[in-house]
Amino acid sequence: MNDELAIEVRNLVRVFESRKGFFFGEKTRTEALKGVELVVRRGAIFGLLGPNGAGKTTLTKILSTLLLPTSGTVRVLGRDVVEDAPWLRSRIGLVLGGERGLYNRINAYENLRYFADLYGIPPAERDARIKEVLERVDLTWAAGRRVEEYSRGMKQKLHIARGILHRPEILFLDEPTIGLDPKSARETRKLIRSLVVDGVTIFLTTHYMFEAEELCPRVAVLSKGRIVANDTMAGLRTRVGGDRTIEVEAYGFEDREVDRLRKLPGISKVVGEEFGPLMRLTMRVRTDEATPQSVADSLPGHPELSVRERRTSLEDVYLDLVEEEAR
Amino acid sequence: MMLPTSKPSRGRATGASLRLAILLFVADPQWLVPSTIAPIVFGLVSFELFRGEGPYFLTYAILGAGMMSMWGQTLYGSGWATGQDRTLGTLEPTIQAPTPYLYVVLGRIIWNVVAGLFGGAIVYLVVVLAAGGPPQLPNPLLFLVLFVFVMVTLASVGVVFAAAFVYSRYAGFIQNVGEFAFYIGTGCMFPVILLPFWTNPIALLFPPTWALDALRYVSIPGYSGFSWGWGWDLLGAVAVTAVYAAIAGSVFHRVERHVLESGQLGDY
Repeated sequence: MNDELAIEVRNLVRVFESRKGFFFGEKTRTEALKGVELVVRRGAIFGLLGPNGAGKTTLTKILSTLLLPTSGTVRVLGRDVVEDAPWLRSRIGLVLGGERGLYNRINAYENLRYFADLYGIPPAERDARIKEVLERVDLTWAAGRRVEEYSRGMKQKLHIARGILHRPEILFLDEPTIGLDPKSARETRKLIRSLVVDGVTIFLTTHYMFEAEELCPRVAVLSKGRIVANDTMAGLRTRVGGDRTIEVEAYGFEDREVDRLRKLPGISKVVGEEFGPLMRLTMRVRTDEATPQSVADSLPGHPELSVRERRTSLEDVYLDLVEEEAR
Repeated sequence: MMLPTSKPSRGRATGASLRLAILLFVADPQWLVPSTIAPIVFGLVSFELFRGEGPYFLTYAILGAGMMSMWGQTLYGSGWATGQDRTLGTLEPTIQAPTPYLYVVLGRIIWNVVAGLFGGAIVYLVVVLAAGGPPQLPNPLLFLVLFVFVMVTLASVGVVFAAAFVYSRYAGFIQNVGEFAFYIGTGCMFPVILLPFWTNPIALLFPPTWALDALRYVSIPGYSGFSWGWGWDLLGAVAVTAVYAAIAGSVFHRVERHVLESGQLGDY
């Protein structure tokens, strides 16, 4: 195990078996993770993307010792998550977030104090540490209020405060901004960035492409229990055909026009979508030869044609990869 | 680089859990019913039920109603607290903390014992007020010691119920079904010896049966339960409770392993 690695996953398989039906006679078997391979270096934010049911939460729970793998090897901070779970638990933080997971009838301070004791934060440092994390998530003003009076965003901040209370070396964040208003989500992202400055490794799962793009130098895409990509943003853009994207819209294109675009120098991929009478063609651009002008020139006879160029987003990459996997 | 904290102390975790149990109790007014109002009702009903049944009817009334009140608080409450952790979604972060969950359960059980004793004290006061005077107790000090010990035996069964709630979200169903059979079968309301003989060996598997029999020997002159006397009963209770305590750690370890395998920790 390389000391620089925070996470090392080899051929991880996780199968869920459950029983349902009359007298639980019907057995169902779901393979949530199918041979996952993943390596995360220390001291950075690593993003894990994937559609609903891809296995993101399952992977996060295995990494944070809340779920046992069916087979494969999983090491966090150089230790096995099954054999060394007690050692790891005091060194990792987990934020599952959401409305649940907190004692609603007591206040934020008491919630944190309880977990501070479970994590063995020395009594002499406990209150100072609670004060510090409450300040960090901007909840000092509400520390004495019952959690049941908190908004969704405040609860999310409290989840994060609890996750960092014991100064973990690695923090697992499962969709930390889901359901938050834009302001709260922005504050949460700012907080996450500040944790990396302190040397915490962040493992982040998210649905939001812009969030991953903003926070994560490196991302992996999990689809149907498999890692289908694991690269830097630049690497992922190259993988799906180019750093630039050109979009054209008009009231319908003929097949021969689409074929003509595909043959244009520098164009690597053309995908069509229909929006009522309007049709949009999205092209990945591999070289500088392809420009909005060259694309427009190859589509004569469309006075209503609109052409725009933009940078290939993570969303483009993600959709391409998930579609590829679906095929 | 942030540094990990010191090694968690099991005693501190139990203390923190006890503190949390008190805070949650105080914060939730619905607890007033089982902890205060129910013992008053049980005391009055029991007083009427046993009135005129010999010279020690007051002791019978106090024991019957007291156990009814403490039973729920101590045993049922211990399992229920873990069930609440499931409902609130706090079971996952608590299990994820480095302290073994057993020590969290212990803290709650200590509180449930205290709350149960509080209920028992209310029953005592109600019956004494209704009767116009205290019951005749041949050995009040020994009675008190055994009374507290009965709570400990109830708590030892509570640990098993708590483990069941970690094991499955359906534990509440099992607890609800078994509650009254267990209540009657361990002699909480009346001596086990009055039940069909075949139930007696089963009853002896549970620590409260022994402790309650000892308590009746001490508080009701002429009582003939299992005919062993309070000393042997107490010895039996200590032995069975010790067995429960010894297996508790192992049970929790296995249960925790099972839920991490099955992935049902977050289900509620």
